[in-house]
Amino acid sequence: MFDVQSVAHQGPQSRQFNPYTENGGTILAIAGADFSVIAGDTRQSEGYSIQTRYAPKVFQLTDKAVLAVNGFSADGKMFVKKVKQRLEWYRHAHAKDMPIRSIARLIQTMLYSRRFFPYYVYNILGGIEDDGTGSVYSFDPVGSYEREACRAAGAAQSLVQPFLDNQVYYKNQTAGQDESFPTHLPLPSVLKLVVDAFTSATERHIEVGDGLEIYVVLKRDSTAIQSMEGVQEVTTSEEGQRVFYIRRELKKD
Amino acid sequence: MFLTRSEYDRGVNTFSPEGRLFQVEYAIEAIKLGSTTVGIRTPEGVVLGVEKRVQSPLLESSSIEKIMEIDTHLGCAMSGLVADARTMIDHARVTAQNHAFTYDEPIKVESVTQAVCDLALRFGESVHDEDAMMSRPFGVALLIAGIDELGPQLFHTDPSGTFMRYEAKAIGSGSEAAQSELQDKWHRQMTLKEAQILTLRVLKQVMEEKLDQHNVQLAQVTRDKGFQILEEANLKEVIDEM
Amino acid sequence: MNTLAEQFSTTSALSKLKKTQALLEDEEMSDAMWGSQAGFGNVAQGSPSFAVPAVPDPSAFLRLHTDDRADPNCKIKIQHGTTTLAFRYQGGVIVAVDSRATAGSYVASGTVKKVIEINPYLLGTMAGGAADCQYWETYLGMHCRLHELRNRERISVSAASKYLSNLVYSYKGMGLSMGTMICGWDKTGPAIFYVDSDGTRLKGDLFSVGSGSTFAYGVLDQGYHWDMTDEDAQELGRRSIYAAGHRDAFSGNTCNLYHVKEDGWRFIGNYDLSKLHYDGPNNVPGAGYGYDIRIAGRASALQPAVAAAA
Repeated sequence: MFDVQSVAHQGPQSRQFNPYTENGGTILAIAGADFSVIAGDTRQSEGYSIQTRYAPKVFQLTDKAVLAVNGFSADGKMFVKKVKQRLEWYRHAHAKDMPIRSIARLIQTMLYSRRFFPYYVYNILGGIEDDGTGSVYSFDPVGSYEREACRAAGAAQSLVQPFLDNQVYYKNQTAGQDESFPTHLPLPSVLKLVVDAFTSATERHIEVGDGLEIYVVLKRDSTAIQSMEGVQEVTTSEEGQRVFYIRRELKKD
Repeated sequence: MFLTRSEYDRGVNTFSPEGRLFQVEYAIEAIKLGSTTVGIRTPEGVVLGVEKRVQSPLLESSSIEKIMEIDTHLGCAMSGLVADARTMIDHARVTAQNHAFTYDEPIKVESVTQAVCDLALRFGESVHDEDAMMSRPFGVALLIAGIDELGPQLFHTDPSGTFMRYEAKAIGSGSEAAQSELQDKWHRQMTLKEAQILTLRVLKQVMEEKLDQHNVQLAQVTRDKGFQILEEANLKEVIDEM
Repeated sequence: MNTLAEQFSTTSALSKLKKTQALLEDEEMSDAMWGSQAGFGNVAQGSPSFAVPAVPDPSAFLRLHTDDRADPNCKIKIQHGTTTLAFRYQGGVIVAVDSRATAGSYVASGTVKKVIEINPYLLGTMAGGAADCQYWETYLGMHCRLHELRNRERISVSAASKYLSNLVYSYKGMGLSMGTMICGWDKTGPAIFYVDSDGTRLKGDLFSVGSGSTFAYGVLDQGYHWDMTDEDAQELGRRSIYAAGHRDAFSGNTCNLYHVKEDGWRFIGNYDLSKLHYDGPNNVPGAGYGYDIRIAGRASALQPAVAAAA
């Protein structure tokens, strides 16, 4: 019960401005030779209670770029909205879609403009570069960024990233005699890795689960997409790259 | 146009009853007093050429600067009030650098031209606390040359803030004669060398003095070397070849 | 923190923050929203403007939510960089850095580029806040280019570093964290300037910055000589970063090595620190830098596996 006496003895109380919460969930992206896969789970939680089983964290920006956001979902939503607005302005000013490396730099400047009042978001950007290669860019909340081949972020990043390091970069694996590791994985293997990463993370992390959304950005002339159940094409233009959407269920307990 | 001259030609922000802004039209006239400037676009790159009026044998001709670099892939030649062009070119440079900083890519030729033209109409009375603007229109026309993903391009801007893309364009005092000469001689598959020579020929026709490496300046924007102003030695070679 | 004097002072970081804030509120309706400046966001006004929370002490707010050294449980973990070094010698400047970024005790990345290529003859290094260094050194690069266009002459290393130093000094007390070395070659020859977010700017021959700097200095100081050959100088840079990666938990993964000469900088290579431990820079098994490699089979504590099995 509330003890008036003991509160009075504690002396002056201070209140802090705390505009942030942690909404859990995990995102990841892997780049291939001519494709990029960006995925995230759909659970949103606050503390130990689940707020919703379907809150998207992965958003298609253009016909060659997909952005995944994780951290505080309100900040994330606002941030994606502002990025989309800037992309629209750019299209009007320069009569073309923004290349992915430009989107990456733009995101840096946008995050850094909140250096003293940060967005609590971890961003991963995936897509196809102008030269046709698949790419992944990862960001910290205030805008430091780097192009990589794969990256996991969010609640289960410390569970998923070591798995990817081992399976994508072949870290701590030694090739057998007369064998070598491939520099790029084929799309079917990458999709298997993504699904496995999320099912495993769901098993061991309470904030991960419910559903999985995967976006595949594929170079237009690539033949890599194979018949996979539940694959839906969401390409928006005839000239751009092809974008596919895959949805999987994850455990809901 | 001087027939309709009236009190409407004094205010920079007042239309005449016929719907004209006289001060802007007069600014366009000012360019016709400037030295002749020529630009030619080819599939290999863009060539810019200007006449330097060396009014006195005591004048250091190398100190006359009428072609300037905006960025590695962008150059600019001017005619009219050269001092006004400095403001515009600095704006173009800052815009190009801001673009490279924000988007990690070189700015498009048309975008930088648009930025310069945005500035052209910022004259008149200033609104609230905007940075101090010009009290009159700029008295200069620019030929902006550059290369981007759409290939080599040449743009012309005038004091009204209008810009247009050209295959070949002449501005300044000798522009009428020069433009018709360009119309005759320009063809689609010109090499860079041919464009350099045509530029000099056109300038030679309209210049009063005998053309030499001291009273003209030539610059080019190419894919592999970007913007460069030709050294006097190189320029002399082209002149000798002409 | 939020003292009475600070509240009424017009020069404190706090009042500066409040001014930037006023600027930003105006931005939503300003001309920067349209025309050719529309795309530049907070950079449009010439110098960048920043959003600030509406609290009495914004820098305390920032510290509360982002400073993971003060509070390991804080939510926003900003990446931190760690061992960097640069030295000047007869043959130019050597710049060597590690590639580990940590957020708290998690290794956030092992492939960070801690050398920022400002332009073809200027390099900056990254220690402290990764975003602070990346953003402001890129921003510096833009101003170096403008200097070059306006003055028809390359900016000196001294001028470039002073530009950066003045820039970060204007944000003093607001929570920026960077320790950087601006390295290059200008009319005066090779030059290194140390610049940090406190406002310090030092000219010198040899610097190391970051949590692993003490270990790097140990190797660097005993091996350094002005008259070194290029090869020896590069090896010294590599060896020093290896030492820091070996003894400092916040440093490691790989070493990036750059050499600045009269015609600009050149990237020498990327070296895996554990490969350096076992095989050395020339990839010869057993020729590594590691102490345990050097005593293998000789000290009682480290018998070779074969001997132990037998």
